[in-house]
Amino acid sequence: MEVKMTLDCKGLSCPMPMMKIAKAMKELKPGEVLEVFGTDPGTKTDLPSWCTKTGNECLEISDLEGGVNRMLIKKI
Amino acid sequence: MSSGEKNPLVDLFTTFFGKHWPVWVGGIILGMLNVLLFAIKSPWGASGGLTNVGDNLYGLVGVFDASGITAINENNYGMLVILIVLGSFSGALFSKEFALRFPPKGEMIKGFIGGTLMAVGATVGIGCSIGSFFSGVPALSGGALIFTAGMFIGVILALKYLIWEMENRPGWSSGKSYTWLAAEPNKGQWQIYLGLMVLVAIIIIAYSHLKTNPVMTWFIVIAGLMGLISQRSRFCIVKSFRDPFMSGESQGSVGVIAGLIISLIGFTVIKYFGIGAMGESGMRARELTWVFPHFWAKAGIGGFIFGLGMTVAGGCAVGTLWRVGEGQVKLWFSALAMVLFMPFSNRFLVPLIDGILPQSAKFRNYLPDYLGYDGAFLLIVVLLGAWYWFVKWNERTGKFSAF
Repeated sequence: MEVKMTLDCKGLSCPMPMMKIAKAMKELKPGEVLEVFGTDPGTKTDLPSWCTKTGNECLEISDLEGGVNRMLIKKI
Repeated sequence: MSSGEKNPLVDLFTTFFGKHWPVWVGGIILGMLNVLLFAIKSPWGASGGLTNVGDNLYGLVGVFDASGITAINENNYGMLVILIVLGSFSGALFSKEFALRFPPKGEMIKGFIGGTLMAVGATVGIGCSIGSFFSGVPALSGGALIFTAGMFIGVILALKYLIWEMENRPGWSSGKSYTWLAAEPNKGQWQIYLGLMVLVAIIIIAYSHLKTNPVMTWFIVIAGLMGLISQRSRFCIVKSFRDPFMSGESQGSVGVIAGLIISLIGFTVIKYFGIGAMGESGMRARELTWVFPHFWAKAGIGGFIFGLGMTVAGGCAVGTLWRVGEGQVKLWFSALAMVLFMPFSNRFLVPLIDGILPQSAKFRNYLPDYLGYDGAFLLIVVLLGAWYWFVKWNERTGKFSAF
């Protein structure tokens, strides 16, 4: 799976990560994948429900070292 | 608390702290705790406590005369603020979500500016997103409805600004960031042990007031729970106003509506029967609790400025406090600005505005005086019902959401 774009949302709190993700997703074509690195616990809850609502696919939310989450979203 | 053999206690712990609670669960419990606070003394509020913390700070360094300032540990609302932060701190630790998160520089500046605007809005409007909204609306205050309308306009304008900033000045919210003390995956048990220590500290602080000031003990216990529940459910007033117009999500709004309904029922009963009132004059004082003299202009101006501030900061009064406990440094700057500027705004800006506004623009408007208890209650129910219908419809259709 190829990552088309990577977004650094580390250190950002609500609503900045979701705003940046929504903006980045607009720039992608269907089938392309966005990779996001963030540290806000809220994004882990907000992202799946936003994906369900917008019809995009949340492929992965994983915990990395240093309190960082990696999130992968596929544009549908 | 490690994985391995099944242990019912571990299961229970994971249920509470493994993932976030739905906002409506948080809203309902917070609404119930708010009713309990009112039954014991008076409803939930945050700006009075933040001002008290600031007053004490200035009293300590000699900027203001300390003799007229109530010490934080003798002020119910000062302690409420501190304990919400501690409660959230323990909740974040139990769920291993605590970390010191330093955002890019521009975000910290925005946090401080947002906090400054919230300080001005809450002092001019006599109340913040809690006192003049989450408690003020169920308190059947006409001024709280105007504050809410002002806050709504402020949120929409500030959201438009945030979207503009992201499109045109992306550098302001990017750059170097640091995260310290985060729990590593499958490790970080120290956070749970520290959480336990914080919980024990809260119980000791509550117990220490039991003999001299039992009301304070109640406030400490309830505030600790409020902080923990807000953090676990990510309960935030700004989210409830902003998200329908941003991502289109309705959960934040539904959570706040749920809390308001619970408080509305409890507050109306307390006010109607004058529960906790002493004598005939006490009855009226009980009715007018959390009905501030700000109808209509003071509430409108204050609410508008507060709405701008909480959206720029990314946290309302309670949202700021629980994010402080979670380690979001941006919101530390918001809380710092509120603590620093509320005492000044109260002493210098508020008298200036009071001097300009006529009495007819800053009086206590108690809705049952005009509509009766049934009419006032129904009015709030209809407004909350309309809000619920709107956010659900908007979530389906996306008509008003930006993304």
